Amino acid sequence: MHHGGELRAGLAGLPPVDRRAARQAAGWLLRLNSPRATEADVRACDAWRASKAEHEHAWQRAQRVNARLGLIPAGLGMASLNRPAQASRRAALKTLAALAAAGPLAWAAWRADPFDWTADLRTGVGERRSVALGEGSTLELNTGSAVDIRFDGARRLLRLREGEIAVRAVADAGPSARPFIVRAPQGDIVAHEARFCVRLLRGACGVSVQEGALRLDPARGPSLALAAGMRASLSAGGASEPLAADPHAVDWLRGVLYADAAKLGAFLAELGRYRPGLLRCDPAVAGLRISGAFQLRDTDAVLAALPATLPVAVRYRTPYWVTVGPRAAGA
Amino acid sequence: MADHAFASGDAVQALYRAHHGWLHNWLRARLGNSFDAADLAHDTFVRVLRHRHELEALREPRAYLATVARRLMLNHHRRRSLEAAYLEALAALPPAQVPPAEQRLILLETLNEIDDMLDGLPPRVRQAFLLAQLEGLSHAEIAARLGVSLRSVHRYVTRGLEQCIMVVS
Repeated sequence: MHHGGELRAGLAGLPPVDRRAARQAAGWLLRLNSPRATEADVRACDAWRASKAEHEHAWQRAQRVNARLGLIPAGLGMASLNRPAQASRRAALKTLAALAAAGPLAWAAWRADPFDWTADLRTGVGERRSVALGEGSTLELNTGSAVDIRFDGARRLLRLREGEIAVRAVADAGPSARPFIVRAPQGDIVAHEARFCVRLLRGACGVSVQEGALRLDPARGPSLALAAGMRASLSAGGASEPLAADPHAVDWLRGVLYADAAKLGAFLAELGRYRPGLLRCDPAVAGLRISGAFQLRDTDAVLAALPATLPVAVRYRTPYWVTVGPRAAGA
Repeated sequence: MADHAFASGDAVQALYRAHHGWLHNWLRARLGNSFDAADLAHDTFVRVLRHRHELEALREPRAYLATVARRLMLNHHRRRSLEAAYLEALAALPPAQVPPAEQRLILLETLNEIDDMLDGLPPRVRQAFLLAQLEGLSHAEIAARLGVSLRSVHRYVTRGLEQCIMVVS
């Protein structure tokens, strides 16, 4: 349809919802966003979500809307989106050039947390963040990730909205020995003392355990115990069979992307998570194999090094629009 | 099945050969710029290719192409005006609040998505929604600012969210 269309189509895959469910989800979102929201509201919303698959679908969409809105700093969003109707005339601006030329680099205006009832943590593309959770547990957020934190008397709850996190959960010292729960759209990951990773990308949720043990409580289907060294995925259909975890699943904690004869297409899709803008792989070279340990700190350097080992060319249309394709004949 | 697809692909090609020049001129006359016209003519045919089953029943190919092109043109204007408003807003920010270069395009893309989601909402609904969701104003503040009842604000914001939830990808 337009330039963003294909990109978005690639990330889509949410089931459609009807207007009624959408309206109810909107109502719940407003209720929970209100400063007067109570734990009872949260529970009532959970019950509403659980009562019908369509409700949960609508809720997931609502979360996605929230995440989009949450990215926009207040002044900027209002000024851009609330433009008067007559501004819809042609504005012949060379946007990319103007963007590249605009202003200095500080960035302080991220808007305030849209959820009053949570502490919201977010990382930008290419950013990593380490957070101490107060009771001794720690949380690392990988690139482009967002979580809400809600600890109360009964549980230590992290709501993973998107992206990838590594958790080191310590046993709760309090009398109620609160469980540590990571809540993904597909279900809960429950720990007491464990080191584990959860990855929520394009609607798929993968869990791997480095130490200790977890219990997976999928939104649907039976629970699954997951021991150290194992991984499983959660989907709308339930928890998958456990498999041996990839020992490189936590390499990102050291800023490394590891590939062992990976297909170039998949490798670039992964690398693209750490890089703002578009990184496209021409299907003609997507099947080439690549191996190595790559530094995520400088993705341009990784791209620049590709032609040395593979028959590819890296083309920059802009710094944010890069295509890896076959080398031109005779080049 | 394959024959059908082949025939339809053929139909698109015939359509392209017969009408591309005309469409390009049609768009250029409205956009006043040959590059954008070429882009949108291309997008129009991509669109047609995706919906080629509709070609079977086509009697007025140029009316059809113009309808598709008009829709794309509206979208194009919307994006341009958003980009312009965004750049203006960036320029007006205090230097310390200007997002880093690598964030700016992502932000613009996200703004485009939100703009798409809000497309077609009445101006008041849109404004109430933005004041609530982006500026974080309370419904009472919005009611005062827009001069409408609290109930209306609640309805507007719910309606905006509802539409976003329906169309978000």
